[in-house]
Amino acid sequence: MKLRMQITKDPEIRFISHLEYVRTIGRAIRRAKLPAAYSEGFNPHLKFSLASALGVGVVSYTEFVEIELAEPMEVENAARALDAALPRGIRVLAADAVDTHHAALMSQAAGAGYRVTLPFSENVSDAVAQFNACQELLFKKAAPKTKIGYKEIDVKFYIPHLECVQNEEKTIFTFDCKITPTGSMKAVDLLNALNEQYQLNLPVAMADIERLRLYRLGKKGQQLPMLNNDAVRLS
Amino acid sequence: MEKELTIDILSSVQKPARYTGGEFGSVIKPADQVEATIALAFPDVYEVGMSYLGFKILYHLLNRQQGVQAERVYAPWIDMEAKMRERNIPLRTLENKKSLKNCDIVGFTLQYELSYTNILNMLDLGGIPVLAAERTEADPLVIVGGPCVYNPEPLADFFDFAVIGEGEEVMLEVMEAYKAWKRAGKPGGRQGFLHKAVKISGIYVPSFYKPVYNENLTFKEIVPVEENAPAVVYKRVVKDMNSIDFPTAPIVPFGEIVHDRIMLEVFRGCSRGCRFCHAGMVYRPVRERKPEVLKRLARKLVDNTGYNEISLVSLSSADYSCLAPMVHDMIDEFKDDRVSVSLPSLRIDSFCVAIAKEIQAVRKSGLTFAPEAGSQKMRDVINKGVTEEDLMNAVGAAFASGWNSVKLYFMIGLPFENDDDVLAIADLARKVQYKYYQVTGKKGCKVTVSASFFVPKPYTAFQWFAQDDLENIRRKQFLLKDEIKTIKNVTLNYHDSKTGIIEAVFARGDRRLGKALLLAWQKGARFDGWSDCFSYDRWLEAFAEAGLDKDFYAARQRGENEAFPWEHISPGVSRRFLWNEWQKAYAQQLTHDCRRSNCTGCGVCQKLGVSIIDYKGEVEQ
Repeated sequence: MKLRMQITKDPEIRFISHLEYVRTIGRAIRRAKLPAAYSEGFNPHLKFSLASALGVGVVSYTEFVEIELAEPMEVENAARALDAALPRGIRVLAADAVDTHHAALMSQAAGAGYRVTLPFSENVSDAVAQFNACQELLFKKAAPKTKIGYKEIDVKFYIPHLECVQNEEKTIFTFDCKITPTGSMKAVDLLNALNEQYQLNLPVAMADIERLRLYRLGKKGQQLPMLNNDAVRLS
Repeated sequence: MEKELTIDILSSVQKPARYTGGEFGSVIKPADQVEATIALAFPDVYEVGMSYLGFKILYHLLNRQQGVQAERVYAPWIDMEAKMRERNIPLRTLENKKSLKNCDIVGFTLQYELSYTNILNMLDLGGIPVLAAERTEADPLVIVGGPCVYNPEPLADFFDFAVIGEGEEVMLEVMEAYKAWKRAGKPGGRQGFLHKAVKISGIYVPSFYKPVYNENLTFKEIVPVEENAPAVVYKRVVKDMNSIDFPTAPIVPFGEIVHDRIMLEVFRGCSRGCRFCHAGMVYRPVRERKPEVLKRLARKLVDNTGYNEISLVSLSSADYSCLAPMVHDMIDEFKDDRVSVSLPSLRIDSFCVAIAKEIQAVRKSGLTFAPEAGSQKMRDVINKGVTEEDLMNAVGAAFASGWNSVKLYFMIGLPFENDDDVLAIADLARKVQYKYYQVTGKKGCKVTVSASFFVPKPYTAFQWFAQDDLENIRRKQFLLKDEIKTIKNVTLNYHDSKTGIIEAVFARGDRRLGKALLLAWQKGARFDGWSDCFSYDRWLEAFAEAGLDKDFYAARQRGENEAFPWEHISPGVSRRFLWNEWQKAYAQQLTHDCRRSNCTGCGVCQKLGVSIIDYKGEVEQ
């Protein structure tokens, strides 16, 4: 049996790294005494995984952890036990169970919905209109491990459409970003690409990035929730 | 409104989680339940400070106390400090994000002399005047404790009072006194509280004393100038480790820290009597915890933390009277939880190798031994009580059990050491390799030799000793390096000796050094314990400007009757005992361990009204 839970990375702990987040969940599983499965060998490790990696500084209300159990456990009890064993900035929102050989959530995630809040800057709405109208927007994203140090991507492939609202203080973008088996793109790179392409002055360093949703796609291309419809919700 | 750390700052520094808190087990009390806030301030980075057991204990005890909120603060790394100074953001605690100046008490632990500049830096970043004399009624009380507190004089200008000895009981008394004083409307102001605090046993208020120096600049005496200031402040000591509360739900950090495991203190104190060892003198006497108590604590710790390793910590855990059966029981009990048991250090004997082998059944670890000195003469000088045969038996047992590499720790620059003694380190490494050949019939045993530069400490037999100067210690390092180069598969690690000299200056320093400390900090000194931040030249400039001579403190042999500037603070060890030990070191005579034998006369038990607690003989029951 495999437990799947929707968990958060709240603003107060947004600056922990993905590795730190994973370690924290591992220890919480142990504290919660979930009957989790361990790998064989000299250094046995817990069998659990996360559906996607989140950047340092990014808040999320929609992370997913899958935990392989050595023996079955009632979903709601497991979810409540894990919730109690997690630090304040990580909450369990929902949980379901599937059989062990069910496809990993990581392989099913097709996209994520984001909200990015920035201090106000000029000329944004025109740029957004142009972005939404264009066919392609090439951007050289930093790729430190490659020889040339960057990798060219088409931003529009990942983010076909952008919504934007502004008031005197803030600019708020919302958008969906595609996740493919070979990767995705970072929300911050969208901002960099907009600055570069449309000569904007978006204060990228101040970007408050929140991941609102993670979804898979149905047969007709419609967005579906990651967990099953019968998932238990914790309030 | 105070400025906070913003997204752009936290995104631009290394390891931002150091600064944001929120870890499992961290305590935040409702504001209306807090009468007094104490910041436990560790003068180094988060990963180092979070590994310190002393603060885990105090954090737990103080937060259990009604009306008290204990919070944590660490030294921001230089990248973060630069941002904070640029934008005028104060250093704040991790729990309630309180700037240090808004806390009631800020308590620093003195772990290491080279962290003193970080204390000044943290005070300054926290908005508190670094000099105690410049603090106002609006400022918090700055207090210090920890192992270096047995000579707090170089820091006397910067703290308001010191807590001498083990903090479990006295810190609760200090906080009770503080709450009562605050409730009463802070009668008499800061001075009023200091006069109250000085009546608590173990509290030292430096401004209540005046040091006097001789014409030749040596220390003469220190005179109490205020009522109730005791002539000697003795350390506080916990009589029975079984009855004192030990934290079973410590904070579990998100990231990896230096000691990222359960730390279970099996006993306190060590009476082996190694003559170089400061901890061995100031933490006396030995007081063990009962195995049942430890097993109970271990179970709670495993359940509450989720850690997969229990380290049995103490100054010499292999000496724990019930070690073998307890390790056995723990391994058995926690096997299904995938929790391993480890020892931070091993004694040099085959018993320890057998224990290490049992422990390794769960998780692999390297083997390290500390003969401390290469020649028998030197091991007798330092009263190590270990022979070459002991070492050969231990490594032989290790090799027979399948290990093929060992680490050996040594010191150079010890009293009465000559070049042959230094070269004997290389010889010992060679013999260890030969032992491997004898046991296994194979060659290629890896030996890592680590040779650190000895720093004489107060309240040890070597407090009279003139530390080797830079030139001499370097010569010895090269001598050893050249010799070890000729041996295959032996590697030598050693550190820059300049830090050891500054450490020695402050270890046995007096109040006059406060000036040099302030100057060095003003010139940019901080994180002196980190080689990439340390500047020897900056320290030399600071000493010169302060009109002080480093050699006077570090490289000067003291006479039998010279008074020391730290003797009004006492761990209970008598000066006569230490002098005798110094004489016996010269004569290469050993002093036995009093733990399971007759008293050797250090004076601690009698002076402090405590006794050794050891459960040997009760194991089978």
